[in-house]
Amino acid sequence: MNKVTNIELTGGVVVISTEGYLNKDLGEEIQNAAQEHISNGVNKVLINLERSNIVNSIGASILIELIEQLQESDGVLSFCNLAPIIEKTFKIMGLTKYCESYATQEEAIAAMS
Amino acid sequence: MDFIQDQPGLSNLQVSFFRKKTIINSLSLSEFFDKNFSQNVINFKSLDIVERNNQKGKVLNSVFNFHSYSKALLVDIVNKNKLIGVIFLPLENNPPQNLLALILNFKNQIECQIHIKNIDKKLSKSNKELRNKLLEIESLIDVTEIINSQHGLKQNLFENILITILSILNASKGMVLLKDEKSGFFNVISQFNILKEELPSKIIRITKGLMKELNESKISKIIEEPKKYEILKASQKNCIASPIITGKSVEGVLLLFDKESRSGLIKFNQQDLRLFDSLSKKVSLAYDNIRLIDSLKTSNNLVDNIMSSITTGIIMINVLGEIEFVNHSAKKIFSIEQEGTLNNHYFMVFQNNPNLISLLEASEIKDEIIYEDNFKIEDSSQTIHEINLTLSPVYNEDNERSGVVFSFEDLSGINKIKSTFKKYVSENIVDELLENENLLELGGAQNEVCVLFSDIRGFTALSEKMKPSEVVYLLNTYFEAMIDVVFSHNGTLDKIIGDELMVLYGVPLKNKNDSQSAVNSALSMFKALEKFNEQMTNENLPNLEIGIGINYGKVVSGNIGSERQMNYTVIGDAVNLASRLCSHAKSGEVVISKSVFEKLDSNRGFNPQKPIMVKGKSKEIENWIYSAI
Repeated sequence: MNKVTNIELTGGVVVISTEGYLNKDLGEEIQNAAQEHISNGVNKVLINLERSNIVNSIGASILIELIEQLQESDGVLSFCNLAPIIEKTFKIMGLTKYCESYATQEEAIAAMS
Repeated sequence: MDFIQDQPGLSNLQVSFFRKKTIINSLSLSEFFDKNFSQNVINFKSLDIVERNNQKGKVLNSVFNFHSYSKALLVDIVNKNKLIGVIFLPLENNPPQNLLALILNFKNQIECQIHIKNIDKKLSKSNKELRNKLLEIESLIDVTEIINSQHGLKQNLFENILITILSILNASKGMVLLKDEKSGFFNVISQFNILKEELPSKIIRITKGLMKELNESKISKIIEEPKKYEILKASQKNCIASPIITGKSVEGVLLLFDKESRSGLIKFNQQDLRLFDSLSKKVSLAYDNIRLIDSLKTSNNLVDNIMSSITTGIIMINVLGEIEFVNHSAKKIFSIEQEGTLNNHYFMVFQNNPNLISLLEASEIKDEIIYEDNFKIEDSSQTIHEINLTLSPVYNEDNERSGVVFSFEDLSGINKIKSTFKKYVSENIVDELLENENLLELGGAQNEVCVLFSDIRGFTALSEKMKPSEVVYLLNTYFEAMIDVVFSHNGTLDKIIGDELMVLYGVPLKNKNDSQSAVNSALSMFKALEKFNEQMTNENLPNLEIGIGINYGKVVSGNIGSERQMNYTVIGDAVNLASRLCSHAKSGEVVISKSVFEKLDSNRGFNPQKPIMVKGKSKEIENWIYSAI
């Protein structure tokens, strides 16, 4: 249903892939997954939303918290494979001012590493 | 604050707020606000010097503890015309003007800071609200786009709409139920984030539960006790439900379950309901349109099917003279293709048919239906067809002329069939067969029929004395007279063998009493023969005498013969016996078998005879004879 499907560390970037509704529960799951790596000194997080096609403002606000947390350690949060509707919501919620969006995971890692 | 306290005489300055928490947090000055007292404890002017020993001083001393000083300065801190705190400075003497000015300046700065912070807070709140409003507007646009991009695909429409609405309202789950047109039950057509076991498992009708309430109120509502309803069992907090209404009836329901917040699931509020209701109304409108399109498609398909299956050619010409519709039969009759015909002017399409063009031109002027029978048209391969045509003016709902319908029947086929069949059967039978083709069994079947044979007595000897042309004339005139009689009694001419006629009653169509028809036919043949003989006498030609045999029985009927020559006829014992009875009949006699006699409604004139032996039969045949002489 709504879950983090994969977490991997590639080229100093922790890639978190998801599936389903990016709501409070999934947002917190992403946050927790990122937290583990942030405490180990990783400050680059990429969220792959290829298999998530719906987001609500609570999910988006949790990602804002994650952005703020990463900014404290000069880190970055980026996204890839955004569905148009999610991209629009992120734009309206102000996320896109503080993070990059890439078409593919490979493109994102290449830019972030 | 540090700057102020560093100034001479201000080291003991204190600032205190009545609504400490908010202000301290906003100014990050917590260390200075450890005094806890209510604004009601003291009552002072905007700037006040309080003596420690008077009433006010004593109260103030209990809070600020300035017993080593003789007096204290109090300065108000105001926000939005409300006293929100004080600046406190213990003094030995009245403060000098410059100190007072410094303190007043400090007071203004504090008030300005508070004001700016309040504006910041408001701005931040407005920004958040604006973003939410923007999301709402975007969601309305999204829903509109979804609706416009779907063309009759109900499931896709509702899936896309559900996730859009669910997302904008921060709902945790949602589903859409639609009424099944046949059963009237409401079924889940789309759901999101709902577990299988949370889906409704019972039959949902309009007459009970939530659907009943929605049907009665027909408005969106918040359901505060979702556990009361079977279809809301997935909900933990509350639900919002909106009926999908087309016309006056509730055709479905949109349901959202439990709003999400950063702190967990919360309840939907009236503001959520307002947005949900507005989105749902759009959905209702879209569903109404989908149903309308579905219904139109069904009607169009029905019309198309009817138009394609009917043998009547139909061509619809609009008010500009352009062809808007051509059915299958019309294309076939005119040998035209859809391409090159549709949207072309009838002048172009019917250029080989100037007479038809003239008629169409006339129909454009006249406000009445034009009928033409046996009208000749030429198809694209220059084959001539005979048609019965009708040109009917068409009007739109404003009663304005919108074109003409050109309908026509191709008579070529019918005429061919008629001319062929009419050689064998009466016109009545041909018409009936053409109208009811299923009555005709040409494949081979066992039938009970009445078979009549008539034979000219002594014709061979007679013909030898005549010229061949006279023989042909005599025979043709005779057969014409006899066949007229046969057809007038619904007989079917099976064959003419020399001077013998074989006629069937009961095939291809059954009559009420085929035996009676055959007998009546036979008696009429004698009357017709009298007239024929009178005519022959007048023409100096010999008179004819005939004998008739009739039998009723089972025969096999069908198309019998070889591939090269095949005829519809009957075979069987009943045929042979009829032929034998004919041979037995003397001139002016009708010989009938028992099977015929028993079926007659009127057997007057028929006398029983001694049973006879006939070739091919082991038993004697009972027979009755009518003598016309």
